[in-house]
Amino acid sequence: MKIRGLALLGCVVLVCLVLLTLQARGHSSQATDALAKVTTPIQSVLAKVNRGAFGVWATYLDWKNVRAENKRLREDNRRLRVEALQVGETADENRRLRRLLALREQLPIATVPGEVIAREWGGWVRSLTVNRGRDDSIVRLTAVLSPDGLIGRVVEVRPGASIVQVLTDPASTVGAHVVRTRTPGIVEGEARGTIRFKFMARDGAGIQVGDLVVSSGQGGMFPRGVPIGRVRVIEDHGSALFHYAVLSPSVDFARIDEVLLLTGDTAHDVAAHFPTDG
Amino acid sequence: MRTALALTIFGGGLLQASLVPALRIADVAPDIPLIVVVLLALRRGPEFGCVSGFAAGVLQDMATGGLLGVQALTKALVGFIIGAAGGRLRGTQPLVQVLGLVLLTFVEGLGRFTLMKLFRYPAPFGEVMTYAVLPQALYNGFVAAALVFAMVWTESFRNHAS
Repeated sequence: MKIRGLALLGCVVLVCLVLLTLQARGHSSQATDALAKVTTPIQSVLAKVNRGAFGVWATYLDWKNVRAENKRLREDNRRLRVEALQVGETADENRRLRRLLALREQLPIATVPGEVIAREWGGWVRSLTVNRGRDDSIVRLTAVLSPDGLIGRVVEVRPGASIVQVLTDPASTVGAHVVRTRTPGIVEGEARGTIRFKFMARDGAGIQVGDLVVSSGQGGMFPRGVPIGRVRVIEDHGSALFHYAVLSPSVDFARIDEVLLLTGDTAHDVAAHFPTDG
Repeated sequence: MRTALALTIFGGGLLQASLVPALRIADVAPDIPLIVVVLLALRRGPEFGCVSGFAAGVLQDMATGGLLGVQALTKALVGFIIGAAGGRLRGTQPLVQVLGLVLLTFVEGLGRFTLMKLFRYPAPFGEVMTYAVLPQALYNGFVAAALVFAMVWTESFRNHAS
């Protein structure tokens, strides 16, 4: 064993010395070439393994970074979405308030702006609660409208709040007429949440789908000319005394957030201050 | 034997190629093939140390583009000597291994310098020792300590498992 080991060492030393001698005598390229044939494949394998291992490691690091970045971007995305929603909501509210303010300034009637703070939306009653009450000179039967049209009337006044009966309430009736034909009638609310225009058969021959119906101003509760809705369907009841036209309300009652309560004299024609082109 | 030899050569070369760039501190890098040769020669004997030292040295010579055979010779000698003396030196003791490796790195550097001087290596002895051999010897000792700890832990884990 010892001899074998020494012999091995002797061989190794001899090989090394031969290599060194060859290089010292200027035959370095032959010695290097001879060994390169053996070592280059080994080095190539080592390099490949090394590159592969580092590739896997780099991939893992990339994956980890991508995962962290993905998490951060998701957070950013969520935050930005919320911010965008808030901005959108603010812009929307700003636009609505501008319209309300413009209407308020144009109307020849004293008004109090109010904000909807609650809604009652069952089939029995359809009403809004507005944050204006007795302290704001609101009285019962005060007309309530929005820049799009008529909303309803105040049916109950409390300190700091009022209950507004909207046009779709089954108990709501408003004197109205068709703008194009001047056909008079009454707009009634229905339990299913729609409104209809009730008119006498002999007067309503010329009513067409799409006609605008506005408040007539009779009775003095509502000003004249406030849009109520457009004729969607005409129900011809043959020889009956009254016919009906189902209306599409001018105001989206489910979405209204700001209103104007008319506290002044309502005996005015305000049609010019509302859109009539649909 | 063959597996251990291949592991020494390939593993050492692989570690040298992949880890050393990352482990370089102030231009000083550990000589991982030497560490692997020494640690395994202590366990496997002089023949193993000689062959693995030669192979690892040749690979390093080829990789560095220096004089072919210098590191092959010094590492083969170091491997053989430490393999032969391992039993007498209580080479399985971690402290002996670490301190021995520091000393062997120094000796190997000295041998390498002597051989290269024969081929008109220009750098002065003091500079080579101060800036290359000694820092590398200390670094090798540090890496060896970590490796010895890992090997001891692995062996105890294996014994516990069996």
